[in-house]
Amino acid sequence: MASKVESLDQEKQAAPEKEPKKYPYYIESPLEDGRVKRFLEIFAAILRHSNYGPLIDIYSKATTKCARCAGTCQIYQASGDPEDVPCARSRILLDIYRRHFTLGGWLRGRMLGDPGLQDDTIDQMLDTFYDCTGCRRCSLECPMGVDHALIMRLARNILSEMGIVPKALLVSVREQLEGKSANTSAIPAPAMIDTCEFLEEELEELTGKTIKFPIDQEDREYVFFPAVSDYLLEPDTLMGNAAVLYAAGDQDNWTIGTKYFDGINYGLFYNDSILGRIIDKEISEVRRLKGKKILTGECGHASRSSKAFVNTFNTGEEIPVISIMEYTMNAIHDGKIKLDPDAITETVTYHDPCNMARSGWIVDQPREIINSFIKNFVEMTPHGAENYCCGGGGGTVSVDEVYDYRMKVTGKIKADQIIATGAELVIAPCANCKKQLKEIIEYYKIPAKVVGLHDLILRAIRFPENEKTD
Amino acid sequence: MQEILAYAQGPIFRLCFIIMVLGFLQHIVFAVWGIIQMIYRARDRDNAYGKMILRVISWMFPIHRLHRNLPLTSYSSFIFHVGLIIVPLFLMDHINLWRSGIGFGWPALPKSIADIITLAALASGAILLVLRIFTRTTRQISGFMDYFLLILLLMIFTTGYIASRPYNPVPYATTMFFHSMAGNILMILAPFSKITHCILYPFIRVTSELAWKFPPEAGRDVEIQVHGEVKPI
Repeated sequence: MASKVESLDQEKQAAPEKEPKKYPYYIESPLEDGRVKRFLEIFAAILRHSNYGPLIDIYSKATTKCARCAGTCQIYQASGDPEDVPCARSRILLDIYRRHFTLGGWLRGRMLGDPGLQDDTIDQMLDTFYDCTGCRRCSLECPMGVDHALIMRLARNILSEMGIVPKALLVSVREQLEGKSANTSAIPAPAMIDTCEFLEEELEELTGKTIKFPIDQEDREYVFFPAVSDYLLEPDTLMGNAAVLYAAGDQDNWTIGTKYFDGINYGLFYNDSILGRIIDKEISEVRRLKGKKILTGECGHASRSSKAFVNTFNTGEEIPVISIMEYTMNAIHDGKIKLDPDAITETVTYHDPCNMARSGWIVDQPREIINSFIKNFVEMTPHGAENYCCGGGGGTVSVDEVYDYRMKVTGKIKADQIIATGAELVIAPCANCKKQLKEIIEYYKIPAKVVGLHDLILRAIRFPENEKTD
Repeated sequence: MQEILAYAQGPIFRLCFIIMVLGFLQHIVFAVWGIIQMIYRARDRDNAYGKMILRVISWMFPIHRLHRNLPLTSYSSFIFHVGLIIVPLFLMDHINLWRSGIGFGWPALPKSIADIITLAALASGAILLVLRIFTRTTRQISGFMDYFLLILLLMIFTTGYIASRPYNPVPYATTMFFHSMAGNILMILAPFSKITHCILYPFIRVTSELAWKFPPEAGRDVEIQVHGEVKPI
């Protein structure tokens, strides 16, 4: 990662002192000796218990190295480093699998004198597998149907069981699963309640309506899980969410739980056990509040981790997961929300968060919402399911140590895309994308502002004059 | 030479063919078993099989996708694969070979069309080889077998084409011997190399999609096996 940034950095005159290669920002008590043995033990355990076995087996037999994925990968396009070609990256792990877990690979290794996995390869892996943002754009173009993000997850999973995880992710997850606050931003529940009360006052000033953030209410239809950082950084998004729920007549139909209110799930990026434990917390909170559905806020990976994995870990009655984008679109369809078409005069573009859009789940909904009230809407090219990642996916946005890499390599194409639209406002309905895009805009000095979709809805929402204020 | 050729087209051909079929069968058994295992282990079994199969079929005819990404590679690869499928199956001489082996045959393509397809496959294969050698991206990720298999396939096409000309600079039997032996080598290598994708193709995409349905206890079980407990973070 560091070397790529250096080679791209034309301004640097003298090469900086080389930092120790091992664990530049990976935590805390990393293994120094016996790493190869440990890696293979963990790999074997994962192959035994998980579904990665059949997956890596079939990939190792049939991938053809056609390199079509290279044409889609924004990281490779920006860095030009052959290691960034998705199938080249995956091949590292596939080779280890072949050599150590298949008879043919073992025989070939013995005949050719291939000693197998070496210590250096582990360093190479911790570098390269965290270079990938897991955007899954390459999966769209693989003729075989190989999904390199699964191999990336598997590699990170093995490394994380060795104790190798970027510190930023680890401390957040520790607070979320074992800390008092039970969320990644360490916001105590009373502080969250205070924030909500403050936002209620703001909403009253803005709209003249008594719009509530219902706390710990039982038997509600929706239990709301935004990215918890929204409580600190994105008050307009949250107010927009509450205003939509109010206008749609669901003021008394949703709630926020105080025991657990964080949608963020870094387990999606690096570890199955953590993914499951975080989903379990979400499910427990819904059960505690006797809620019926999970309503996810504006956040890509939070929405996807709930949507795709609640059914994986849920043992009880089914809990449907609905994104606030779907909810708002339905409310607009039903004519429950009135948005002023003259409220937003700026040129607006929309960034599709990979975790929502790549599968085609949330692509049309935001566009229907946007087209219902925004006049000057410009699409990025490409967009929708094929959109480029913001450059901070896969948890990398939280790792401040790779800021340069995120700006100069992973975020480069996104910056070009935004500049090409000429938009003044960039809608990014995702906490991670928002942080990354704000940094990109500052770094590349793009005259645009990053907002949430519900921030703009808040500006445009109108309530009938004669409506009763309750 | 005739005797050696008969040997190459007879017992050796049959042996190689049997190795290929058995190898492919073994791959199919493992792939299906893997898929069953994945579905069985996952708690969430809400899979859109219809859509998965549609995607598999749609990628078999990727014509509308070719221009979008690396067009030269993509078009060449598509034409090459069309040749690889049609020529072994629909050429008169090959059908006769099939008939002698399995007892029945099917209508053949007219020779002129078969020739055009062969030449197109040769040209596209040559382009793929040149791209693999001279494009930095592919050169860096290619190993010996990536070149060897492609050259072997090109050799099969070339010798087959030359052998079927009425005026042949090299004796027919010699050309045919090289053609047959290269085909035999390819059949032996097929189950042990990336050529396997010709048979595993439909299973790969399905496996990828099912792999996102994780077994719920897997993470915990791994931690217990590796650390003896679900360790604190």
